[in-house]
Amino acid sequence: MDPLLDIRDLDVAFRTYGYRAHVLKNVSLSIPEGGRVALIGETGSGKSVTAKSILGTLPGNAHVEGGSILFEGRDVLQLAEAERDRMKGTSFSVIMQDPLSSFNPVFRIGRHLDDVMRFADMRLGERSGAAERQKRIYEVLRKVQLSDPERVFSAYPAQLSGGMRQRVLIALALLHQPKLLIADEPGTALDVTTQDEIMKLINRLVSENGLSLLMITHNLGVVRQMADDIYVMRHGEIVEHGPLRQLFTSPREAYTRELVDAIPPLYGPKVVDQPPVEGETIIALEGVSKVFSERRLIGRGSEHTAVKDVDLAIRKGEIFGLAGESGSGKTTVARMIMGLIAPSAGSITVDGVTMAGTGRSDAFRHLTQIVYQNPGTSLNPKRTVGQTLSVPLRFAGLERARFDARIAELLRHVDLPAHYVSKYPHELSGGQKQRVAIARALAANPKIIVLDEPTSALDVSVQKNVIALLQRLRDELGLTYLFISHDLSLMRNFCSRIAVMLRGELVEEGEPKTVFADPAHPYTRALIAAVPVMGDEEEQMKPFVSAEERQRFLVDAVA
Amino acid sequence: MTVPAMPQPEALSTRYMAWYRFTRNPAAVIGAFMVATVILAAIFAPLIAPYPDHVGAVVDFRNRHAAPDLAHLLGTDKVGRDILSRVVFGFRVSLLLVIGVLGVAVPVGAALGLAAGYFSGLTERIITGFTNVMLAIPPLVMALAIGNVLEPNLVNAMLAITLLWWTWHARLVYRVSKSIAAEDFIEAARLAGASHWHILTREILPNCISVISVKTTLDAAFVILFGATLSFLGLGVKPPTPDLGSMVADGRQFLPEMWWEVLAPGFAIFYATLGFNLLGDGLRDMFDVEA
Repeated sequence: MDPLLDIRDLDVAFRTYGYRAHVLKNVSLSIPEGGRVALIGETGSGKSVTAKSILGTLPGNAHVEGGSILFEGRDVLQLAEAERDRMKGTSFSVIMQDPLSSFNPVFRIGRHLDDVMRFADMRLGERSGAAERQKRIYEVLRKVQLSDPERVFSAYPAQLSGGMRQRVLIALALLHQPKLLIADEPGTALDVTTQDEIMKLINRLVSENGLSLLMITHNLGVVRQMADDIYVMRHGEIVEHGPLRQLFTSPREAYTRELVDAIPPLYGPKVVDQPPVEGETIIALEGVSKVFSERRLIGRGSEHTAVKDVDLAIRKGEIFGLAGESGSGKTTVARMIMGLIAPSAGSITVDGVTMAGTGRSDAFRHLTQIVYQNPGTSLNPKRTVGQTLSVPLRFAGLERARFDARIAELLRHVDLPAHYVSKYPHELSGGQKQRVAIARALAANPKIIVLDEPTSALDVSVQKNVIALLQRLRDELGLTYLFISHDLSLMRNFCSRIAVMLRGELVEEGEPKTVFADPAHPYTRALIAAVPVMGDEEEQMKPFVSAEERQRFLVDAVA
Repeated sequence: MTVPAMPQPEALSTRYMAWYRFTRNPAAVIGAFMVATVILAAIFAPLIAPYPDHVGAVVDFRNRHAAPDLAHLLGTDKVGRDILSRVVFGFRVSLLLVIGVLGVAVPVGAALGLAAGYFSGLTERIITGFTNVMLAIPPLVMALAIGNVLEPNLVNAMLAITLLWWTWHARLVYRVSKSIAAEDFIEAARLAGASHWHILTREILPNCISVISVKTTLDAAFVILFGATLSFLGLGVKPPTPDLGSMVADGRQFLPEMWWEVLAPGFAIFYATLGFNLLGDGLRDMFDVEA
C-alpha cells in the first residue's frame, strides 16, 4: 500500500544576508495511512522546516531546490496555489506549538474557530450558515474534551487556562477532519501534568478517527507514547529511522545513541543516586510566608499568597531540588533566599546571618548568586563575555590588573576557550551562553548558587554536559546548589535531596531515592506519573495514580 | 548566480547584517546620500558658493530679481544677491540649529528617560509627570513667547525648541529603558554588585543607542522644518545672515513672477528634510527597532 505522505529527497535552502543556508538535505520520510511518525532532533536541525514544507508555509526566502512531497500520490509541490490551499485543514492540518500566543486576545475563541471553518468551507466551495457551523464547532470542542463548549465558545483567550487553550488549538486542527495531523512540539509550554493529558488526548483522537500523525519534538519521552516510527534529524539530514523499539533499544548511529543516553532515567538500573550530604545547615527557613498585595487607587486591592508557612533546611554542599509546577511558589522561595524580596512572615537564615528587612548587605551579595533559566535574556546582548564577567570582579574589589587572569580562570572552570572573552552573546550557542552565565555566578566566589531551571531552554545533549559541569564545580569549589525545576527525571539523578511544592506549600521532602520509590503525597505521585519516560519497565515502576487524583491536581482541570 | 554557502550562522556579525540590510534599502541609501550632500555643502559653503560675499549685507540693485541664468544659477533676490550662494550658506544655519537643539535635547531627554525607566516609584512618577506637562505646551506658542520676551535671534530660537524637544526623547528612552530594566541580565548585574551608575550607563544605555540614533535622525528633519517655520515668522535668524525660512518669507511678496526666490530655498528645506527622514527610516529598518 502506498503511504499517505511520502517525502522524497527534499532539498530546501534559505537565502539570508547574501548567503545560502542549506537547511534540508535529501530528506526522505514516509507516513503510512493511520501511522504515527515522530521527527526528532535538536534545535536548528530542520524539523520545523520539514513541517512547513508539507504545509506550504515556508517563508519567502526559502527555496525548494529539489525533491517531491507526495500526498496520496500527488506531488503537492507541483500543485497550483489555489489547489494547495484547499488541502490545508482538510488533507493535513497542524497543531500549533504555543497555546499562549496563538490567539488574538481581542477575539472570542468562537470567532477564531468560526473564521477557520468559514474560510475552509469557502475554499471547498461549500456554503454554510453560522448556526450550522456553531453546531459543528461544539461537536469538535466536545471531541477535545472541553465539556462546556458554549462557555469556551464565547470566552476570550485570556479567560482560558493554558491547557484549555491547547485543546482549542487541537480543535482548530480537527475542524475539517484532516487525514494527517502535524503536531509541532505540542504542550511543551505547559506543565508536565497538563502536557501528559494533552498527549493522551492527541493519541486518542488519532486512534479513534483513524488519522495519521506527524509528531515533531525534541522530547524523547513523549515520543515513546506517541509514535510507531521514528526519524532522527541532524543538521538538515535524516541520520536514522526505524520502528520505535528498535531505535530506542539498539540505535545504529552514534548520534541517536547519544540522544537516547542523554535522557536522565526516572527508574531502573541507570539511575544515579547522589550521596546524601551531612553537614551544617547553610540555609534555614522557618515558617516563611509571602503575600503579594496589590494596592489600587480606587477600590480594594487584591492579595495573593505565593508561599505559605515553609520550613526548609539546606545543608552545606547539598544539591537541593525544589520541584513544582508553574505558580507553585518555588521561584518566590528562591528570591527570598537571595534577599531580592523580603518574606511577609517567618525568618530566613543564610550562612548564620538572619536576614532582616529588604536590604542586601555586601557580604550577602557574595554569598548567593543565580543562574537563570533563559540564557538568551540573562546576558546583555551589547556586552562581550569579558565585560559581563568583569562586573562582579570590579565590585568584589579585585584589582584591575588581575581581571584578565581571573576571567581566564573562570572560563577555564566552565570549559570555554580563553579567546571567548571578546565574543558577544549572539555569537554563542545556547549551551555556551549558559556556561558564561555560570561563570558570572562563580565570579564573586559565592557559597550558594540558585539554579533556576538552568537547562530547560537547552537541548538534551547540551543539558547533559551543563549538568556534568555543575556537578564538577560543586565538587571542586564546595558549592551548595538550590536547584529549581519541574523536570523530575533530571532532579532524580542530580539532586541529593528534593522538596515538592504545591500552591505555595511544601508537600513532600526527602532523598530522591525514597521520594521516588514511595511518594507520600498524592500530588508527588501525580507529578511523577506524568513524567514521560523512555522504557516500558520504567513506566511500570511509576506510582499508580487514580483518575480522580490526577484530575484533582491538574492545574487547569477542565471546567 | 552562485550564492556562497552560509558559514556558521553565529559567524555573521551584527555589523555585517546591519550593513547588508541598509545597503539593500534604496530609500536609505538615497537618504544617506542626500544628508551627506547637505552636510558637505554646509561645511564647504565658502568654496562652493559662487558669490561667498553675498552672504552679508551686499546690495547689487542692477541685478535684482534676476531670473536663473548662467551667472546666477538660481537667480537673485530683491537686493540682487545670488540665491544659490545664500541657500548653500542657509544649510549652515539649519545644521547649526539641528546640532544646537539636538545636542542638548537628546542627552537631557535620554538621561531623564533612562532614570525614569530604571528607578521605579517616585523618580519615575516625577519625571514622567513633568514630561507630560511639558508635552502639553504647544511648541509654536512657546517659541513666540520666548521670541517676544527675549530678543528674536538664532540662539533664542534654539532655546525655545530645545525647551520642549527633550520630552520626546525622554518618553522614548523611558519606554525602552523600562523594558530593558526588567530583563534578567539587569538583575544579574545588580546581584553582582553593580552600581546604579554602571547599570544605567553600561548595561541599559548601550541597548538604547539604536533607538536614540534613529529618533535623532528623524528629529533633524523636524528641527530644520521647525526652524524654517520660526524664521519664516520672523523669530529666527537676524538678516542679513541667510536662512532658508526667512528667504522663503522674503521671496513670498514677489510671487508668482519671481518664483525662484521662494522655490529655491523651499526646495532646499524639502531636500534636507526628506534626506534626514529617508535616512532615519533606513536606520530604523537596519536596527530593527521602533522609534
